Amino acid sequence: MMTINILIAIFMGLAGGLAVGSGFVAFLTVLGIIPRLTQLTKTVALIQAYEWAIVTGALTGGWVSLRDTKLYLSELILVPIGLINGIFIGMLAAALTEVLNVFPILAKRIGIADKIVILLMAIVFGKVAGSLFHWLYFVYQ
Amino acid sequence: MEKTVYIRLRHRVQVHPNDCITVSKIAQIVAAQPLRDRIGNLQIYKVQSSDKNIVVIDVMRVLSEVHKTDPEIDVQAVGPAQAIVEIVYDRRTYSSALFALVWLLLFVGAALAIMNFHEDVSMQLVHKRLYTIITGRTSEHPLLLQIPYSIGLGLGMILFFNHLFKKRINEEPSPLEVEMFNYQLDMDMYVAMKENKESMKKIDDH
Repeated sequence: MMTINILIAIFMGLAGGLAVGSGFVAFLTVLGIIPRLTQLTKTVALIQAYEWAIVTGALTGGWVSLRDTKLYLSELILVPIGLINGIFIGMLAAALTEVLNVFPILAKRIGIADKIVILLMAIVFGKVAGSLFHWLYFVYQ
Repeated sequence: MEKTVYIRLRHRVQVHPNDCITVSKIAQIVAAQPLRDRIGNLQIYKVQSSDKNIVVIDVMRVLSEVHKTDPEIDVQAVGPAQAIVEIVYDRRTYSSALFALVWLLLFVGAALAIMNFHEDVSMQLVHKRLYTIITGRTSEHPLLLQIPYSIGLGLGMILFFNHLFKKRINEEPSPLEVEMFNYQLDMDMYVAMKENKESMKKIDDH
């Protein structure tokens, strides 16, 4: 009986991981962040290495969040981690099609196609300001 | 054979109000010299004040005009089946108040959206947990992680749009430019079908 329970637990864990993992990759693929990064850095040939970066990153994140790993490292390591985390989330936010779809219509409707960079900056500064506000004020309330 | 004319309509043409639209304005023409000028000067359409922003000229209209002048001319039409003529009135200047309003709208909207996102995914808890994983200690407000995160957020968006305050990182079009182009193409396609009276026939039309 015990063995069956263990087997069922293993099977369910595997199935759940499979669903979440494929969903995660599908999400990244739909947003097209990896193609965008390879396009920017002209490293299309290395795309397989990027795939492995995603897979090992997801595995590491899964491991440290499910286990009680503690690394006892310096606080300062959090600075680059935070920065990289922010860049990644920023790219996710920028890639969301809502943002991309709003701009052409906005630019057409009020005839400001030449000022679109300034509007883009409104969103960028808005995100940064909103995030800082959230961490420095909102969570203290 | 010398009466063969090749015509390729342009995709999109801008004209002034009250302009005469001639063939040479809306199309590229390849033909022997005198014939080329003769066809180029044919008037296809006169822009009237009743026209709104856009007039669609079907290739058949050009063909029929050419045919009217000389039925002997063999016209070979290549490329798009219609030209979209955009009538440019005095460039509407947007008020800076409206622009400021839109800017604020986007700014506040983006700020609230990111805050809602943080709450939605419990990012505060994740950051606290991450702080514990890395340092082994606990912190209620791991600002050392969160402030670089906030700055990175902006950097990531700029990186994605490939605009470093107008300075481009490389020559390729950014996703936003591609999106703008696609939007314009969709609009053109809609206009080409809807404004072109010849391209759709309903049962009650005669």
